[in-house]
Parts: sequence; C-alpha cells; structure tokens
Amino acid sequence: MEDRLENVLNWALEKFKAEYIEIRYENVNKNTLELKDGTFTTFAGKGQMGVAIRVLADGAWGFASTNRLEQLENAIESAYKLARATAKAKKEKIQLAEVKAHQDIVKSKMKVKPREVPIEEKVERLAELEGLLKADKSIKSTWLRYEDASGEKILLTNEGTKIKWDLNYVWQYVWATGKEGEKLAAARDEVGAVEHGWELFKEREPNEEVAKRVLRKVHAQLQGVVPKRGEFPIVAGPIVVGIIAHEALGHLAEADLTINSPFKDLIGREVAPEHVTMSERIVEGGFGNDKYDDEGVPVKDIHIIENGTLKQIMLNREYAHKWGMEPNGHARAENYTYPPIIRMRNTIFEPRDWKFEEMIEDIKFGYYVVDFRGGQAQLNSAFQVGVQEGYMIENGEITKPIRDTSISGIAIEALKKISAVGKDFGLEMGRCGKGQSAFVSSGGPHMRFDGGIIIG
Amino acid sequence: MEELIRFGEKFFDEFEIAIYKNRDASVNIELNEVSSSMLRERAVTVIRGVKSKKLGVSIVDTGDKEKIKEAIERAYKMAKLNKPDEKWTSLPEPGKYREPRKVDKELKEVSPDYFVDLAREGISLALEEQGIVVAGGAGGVEWGESLIMNSHGVNVSQEGGGAFFYLELVGMREGRVTPGIFDFDAKLSLNLNVEEVVRKALQKVKWAFNVKKSKTEEARVILEPWAISSLLSYALFPAFSGEKLVKGTTPLANKVNESISNELLTIYDDPLHELSINPVIADDEGVPTRKNVLVEKGVFNGFIWDNYWGKLQGVESTGNAKRSLATGGISIGFHNVIIEKGKKSLEDLVGEIDHGYLVDGFQGAHSSNPDNGNFAVVANPAFLIKDGEVKGSTVFMMSGNIYELLPSLYEVSKEQRVLPFEGSMIVPAMAFENVRIAGK
Repeated sequence: MEDRLENVLNWALEKFKAEYIEIRYENVNKNTLELKDGTFTTFAGKGQMGVAIRVLADGAWGFASTNRLEQLENAIESAYKLARATAKAKKEKIQLAEVKAHQDIVKSKMKVKPREVPIEEKVERLAELEGLLKADKSIKSTWLRYEDASGEKILLTNEGTKIKWDLNYVWQYVWATGKEGEKLAAARDEVGAVEHGWELFKEREPNEEVAKRVLRKVHAQLQGVVPKRGEFPIVAGPIVVGIIAHEALGHLAEADLTINSPFKDLIGREVAPEHVTMSERIVEGGFGNDKYDDEGVPVKDIHIIENGTLKQIMLNREYAHKWGMEPNGHARAENYTYPPIIRMRNTIFEPRDWKFEEMIEDIKFGYYVVDFRGGQAQLNSAFQVGVQEGYMIENGEITKPIRDTSISGIAIEALKKISAVGKDFGLEMGRCGKGQSAFVSSGGPHMRFDGGIIIG
Repeated sequence: MEELIRFGEKFFDEFEIAIYKNRDASVNIELNEVSSSMLRERAVTVIRGVKSKKLGVSIVDTGDKEKIKEAIERAYKMAKLNKPDEKWTSLPEPGKYREPRKVDKELKEVSPDYFVDLAREGISLALEEQGIVVAGGAGGVEWGESLIMNSHGVNVSQEGGGAFFYLELVGMREGRVTPGIFDFDAKLSLNLNVEEVVRKALQKVKWAFNVKKSKTEEARVILEPWAISSLLSYALFPAFSGEKLVKGTTPLANKVNESISNELLTIYDDPLHELSINPVIADDEGVPTRKNVLVEKGVFNGFIWDNYWGKLQGVESTGNAKRSLATGGISIGFHNVIIEKGKKSLEDLVGEIDHGYLVDGFQGAHSSNPDNGNFAVVANPAFLIKDGEVKGSTVFMMSGNIYELLPSLYEVSKEQRVLPFEGSMIVPAMAFENVRIAGK
C-alpha cells in the first residue's frame, strides 16, 4: 500500500503546482457490540478503508476523500481543483508553519490488542456487566455499547513526512435507567483507551467497578432532591472540573475558535488565581494521547493557563503560521472522510495541595457536583453542564443527593472564583463533537468555586 | 444484486443488504473567508443476517459486489459467535410505497465552486455591518442513493439530495463579544436564500449587543423553532419510542388518548409532508414510511415502531427504523417531525407581551433526561421583550419538566421553519406562560 501511495504522490507532484499535498490512508477493522436488555442488537464487524487527500494550492485548501483506491488520482485532481477554485475567493493566502518532516513508525503501547481477544470473551464481559447492573432491583433497562478497532494509518506529504501508525482503541459506554415507584432516573458511564488494550477491562475498569459506579449514580438520582436555584459555594469533582476545562475553556483555546473568543485579547494576562494551572497534555491513560497529529507534527504538552496566566493555545500548522507560533500537534481528523482540524486531546487542571475535607469544612450550605450528563459552551465561555450525580453540602458535611439539575456560568468569570485546588486527580474519557468526533479525556483535582457558578 | 441475495441465502435463514452511496460537496467559512472546499464520496454496505435466531452484522466501506460477498461471510461468522435472540421474529415483508417526490438531479453533480460564490456573497453582505465577524459557516449539497433489499422480497431504492447554507456571526464592539449567532437555510434545491440568512442573523446580533439582565421570575417565554426543536428532541421525543414502552422506561406508558398539553399542540412525523427536506418513502429496513400522528390537539396518540420492537409488541412497524452507519444497528427515530402551525405571526406574539422573553437557542438541551422529561437548560441566545418589543439580549436558566411545561402553551406562530435536525423538522415558534426562569 505504501508504494501505491508514494507513486500517486509523485504523480501528483509532477502534474500539479501545489504548495502542499497530504495523503492519509486508513484501513481499520472494528468490532461493534450493543447489548440492550439481554439482546445483542448490534453484533458487527466493520471494515473501514479509504483515503483522505488535502491539497494547498494558491493559498487555499481543497479536500477530497474516497474509498475507491483505483480512483486515487481522480481524487487528488479533485482536491487540487477545489483548492484552485477556493483560492479565487480568498484574500489572505493560507501558509503553513515550517516543521521538520518526520519518518516514523508509531507502535501500539497496548499489552493485549483488541484483535487478539476472541469475540466470545468480549460478549461474555458485556453480558457479565449487564448481569451486575440488573442484579439491582431498581434497574429497569440497560444499554451497553462496546467498540474496538485495530488497523493502520499512513500519512505521506510532499515535504517528506512518512508516518505509519499501528492504530488501536477500545471503548465502552453504559446507559442505565432505574425506577423506583414513579421516579425514573438515568445514568451514563464511559471508558476507553488508545494505549491500554483489553487490559483496560481487566486491570483498570473491571466490570465490578463500572457497575458500582453506575448504580451509585442512578441511586443518587432516584433518592435525589431538587436543589435550590442560585449561586452557592460549589465543590466540583474531577469529572466536572474536567468538563469545565474542556467545554468552557478548552474550546476557547483552540486557535481557530480563540480568534473569535475573549481569549484572543487575554493571552499573557492573568485570568485566574495563581494556584490555577490548566494544561493540554499527554496524560497516563489519556484517550487523546498520540505521538504525532494528522499533519505529522509531534504532540507537545502545553499550558493553557499557567499559574493563573493565559499562556498557550492549541494549534495546527495553518494557525501556527497565522499566530507566529510553533505548531503543537493538535490537528486531528475523525477518519479518512474528514480533513484534520484543531482539536483537544487531554484537557486538565493540574493538582495543588488541598484535601477534600478541608475544602468543604467551612461551607455552611453549598453543593458537591460529581458527574455530568452532557455539557455545552458558547464562544463567550458561557457554559451549561447537566449534573447526573451531585450532593448537598450542609455545615461542612456531604448530605442529601440532588437530581436532574445543571450548573452554568461564564467560565472566564468562574475561573477567578476558584478558591481551592485539590491534591487528588481524576480523568474522564469521552468523545468531543466539533463537526467530527474525537476521543478526548478531561479531568483534574477537586476544586472549589466561591461563586461564579449557578445551580438549578 | 439479486445474485447477492441468493449468495446470502446460502448462509442465513433471512438476511438484508443495505447499500448507501453518498456524495457531499461543500465549502467552509472561517473568519470572514472561504477557507476550504471539500468533495467527499463514500459507499457503505451493511449486511444484517439471522441464522437460527442469531444476528450477525457486517459493515464495509464499498459497494463492490465481490467485497460485499466477503462482508456477507463475515456477517455469518459474527452470527455464529452471537447468542440466539429468542425474541427475534423476522425481517420485514414487502410493503406498498407512496409515490416518491420528484428529485432535483442538479444536486447530484453540482460543484463546490457554486458554493464558493454563495459563501462570498453571504460574507460580504454580513460584513457590510460594522463590528461583525463571520466566525464560521458552510454551504453545500448532500446527495444520497440507497438500496435496501432482503430475502423476503423487500427491494427499494431511493435517491435524493439537499442543499444547505449557514453562517455564524459574532458581534465585537467596544470590548463586548456577543454569543455566536447562527442562521441557516436548507432546501431540496439550490434555491437557497443567502440574503435572508444574513438578515436574520444580523438582526439577532444587533439585539445581542444590548445586554439586559433577566430576573428570577415566572414569565411568558416564546421559544423559537431552533430552541423548541432541541428541547423537544431530547426531553420529549424519545418518549414516543415503542422500544421504551416495551421496556417500561417511557413516561408516556398508559397515557395514550390522554392530554399532555392543550389543543394548540399537534405533532406528527411525515417524511412526505410538502415542506420536508427528508422525503423518504421507505425507512432503513425498507418498510414504507407513513404519516404517524403523535399528538393531536394535545392528546397523545401513540408510539412509533421499527420492525423488531413492533413485532415484539404485536403491532406493525410504523416505518421509523433508522440505521447507524457507524454500528449497523437499527433504532427507532423520526424522519420529518411537523409541529402544526398556529394563527398568529411571531411579530404579533412578541407584540402582545408586556414583559417576557424570546429564546433563540438552548445550551445543554442534550443533557435533558428523556426517561422522565426533566430538563435544566440555559437560554442563550435569548432576548428580553418589554412593551411588545425586543429590547436586548439576556441569558437565563430554565429548568423543569417537559410534561409540566407543555400544558402552559398558549400560542403557536403561523410561521414554521424547516430545520435540518435529525432528518428534518418543521417547527413554529411556541409561546408558554408562567415559565419559571432563573435570571443572571
């Protein structure tokens, strides 16, 4: 396959006058299982294969994707023509930041790759998880989804980049509905990994742990009371801290969005107390970990907020040139049908030195929010996060659970109200949608907000 | 293709081939400029076979016959590994389809160049206004062809396409950044109204510059089409699924023929409605689509079904099967939901309010709980209405339960918008009274 791709690239270089040509080939085999209340409603093997082509000509992008390999030349020609046509409408020519061309083979760090596990074992594990959930009498319905992939990705560019990935992931999603009397409640749980293989489910996320977590969330809601609306001290757990980092702040630090956000004028300025540092970096077990991005740029750790000061943003080569900065490996594409765009990987708040008990001990009345269901933010950093597990804090103690509520605020204002940053750390795996889906993780320590967040 | 059915019959008791071919041509807009053009072509084939009540599915990125044969064998391997589903009855039988809508063939071949010009027009119109940034946008066509066949004789092919254009504007003036304001047009032809998209978006940005505080209070709230469609799609519509009835997880169980709102509310699903931009004659299992009335004058009329859950319940599929091309799985969904229009114009609805709110969009509608109808969303962009006029933009939280909100509907606008949302939706603005909001 590499030869075929290289030949096509050479053919294109002779035929077209382009500044940049990128060919990304993908051939991935997936297993997808869905277990809905005792029945495998999806039991699928999937072969996903195709090529993405991106051409920069006359300062504009053209993109084509195809799964007909015999027509690769046509696809390149289409991408080239599209770029030329777009260029006519463009005042400012796109340029790319210079990078070193890498030739590399990215090996998988998985101990047991999903393709090495017999499907019977995957089936058994899901059935067992369902059994554990359904053993609880209040669980009315469960929906378990599992997907894994094994395959290869090859990136070639006219600048000499040639990277081959051994591409693998595992992913699991649980949705459980509980009922007590007339009360219905639902909870979500998601785990996944790109560097841990089947061992994820053996060592880090065994069925017992997942089931315990899901049941805790469902029961918290079934027994939950409706919270008071208003602005109270909020202690947020790692998962909620993570979603605020991702949704409300992370997106603003994606260079293509920064440009239209309040972050644009805040780079280099103090945006939070000194004890707050938020990073976009490789994390142990991170779902967004990789060695290179889909432009062949090495993935670098960055600090979006460092000791309270807004410092760095996520870049691809185009925006790195625009901002006069170094690209840092955040161009990602969901699959061969999409061009790479600027995406997060693992967005986290860094831990400091507070203990959880110290954080809540002087709160007369407030809330402890543990887990979310859905979150969304605007370019002005206004965010909303649905809370699927939360509790009241009364006189320094965690008391009753709360149900079906959400928290909201303006993140750049809420940042200033962070009064304590915990010494612990937690990470949540998820998928982020920005026109395309990407595996990401987010997290941090427990954090306390004295104002800036409204509940209810 | 008949040959493939015969090939599959060697392995399975019954089986189905679904082939989808798509061609998308589009342009992207970024920061006041057309940034890129795309042409994406993809063929996906999904095989679903059942042997001794064991289901096997395989998905392959091709429409090529030989590769499909390999996929059939792969599906068979999967079926052998699966456990029998004792509830399985059978795949659908052939049905009678309605007359398909006439297709605009022009959409099949149109080049992205066409949209480069359209995008330029939209950008320059928007930039005529001071303090406006065209933060993003896109325009393009999606053309799709599908073929659904099964071993019981279902054999239906469809083709069609649609065009869309949207812009996201951000207002930046005197250090103030407005929320991103979207507007769009979507049609089954190239007849897109870019001027109208820009005009509507600009109007909202102008309102958004003037920030007003909202109070914590009970007030009249008008939900514009985009806002009401997102709220209903997550908090109410999943409850219409027959699967949830079987499982006892819909709050609408035992509510058939009972009122859930008032006579102003009528909701139905009909892909061949005259305004539909998703005019399918068959669902993803090849079952004929039809008009399914969900709520008539406030009264809940019944559930929607796919083949599997329908047969399990002893009722017919209502033609509401939707296939995920990512997993091959079938689930129950809508094609084109219509909320019946009312008599008054939106302008009159606003004009009649002394103090209230107009909501363009909700943040966090997807965090609603479909199993009980609870929601807690942020109205943003939202606007304050005072003495019958929009005075400026505001943000507030609205939390409650959809089944408590619906009875307080007091008016529906006579204008409906066509939204490219979950297939398509045709939705008016809906006005509610005594809505509890938490201001900021």
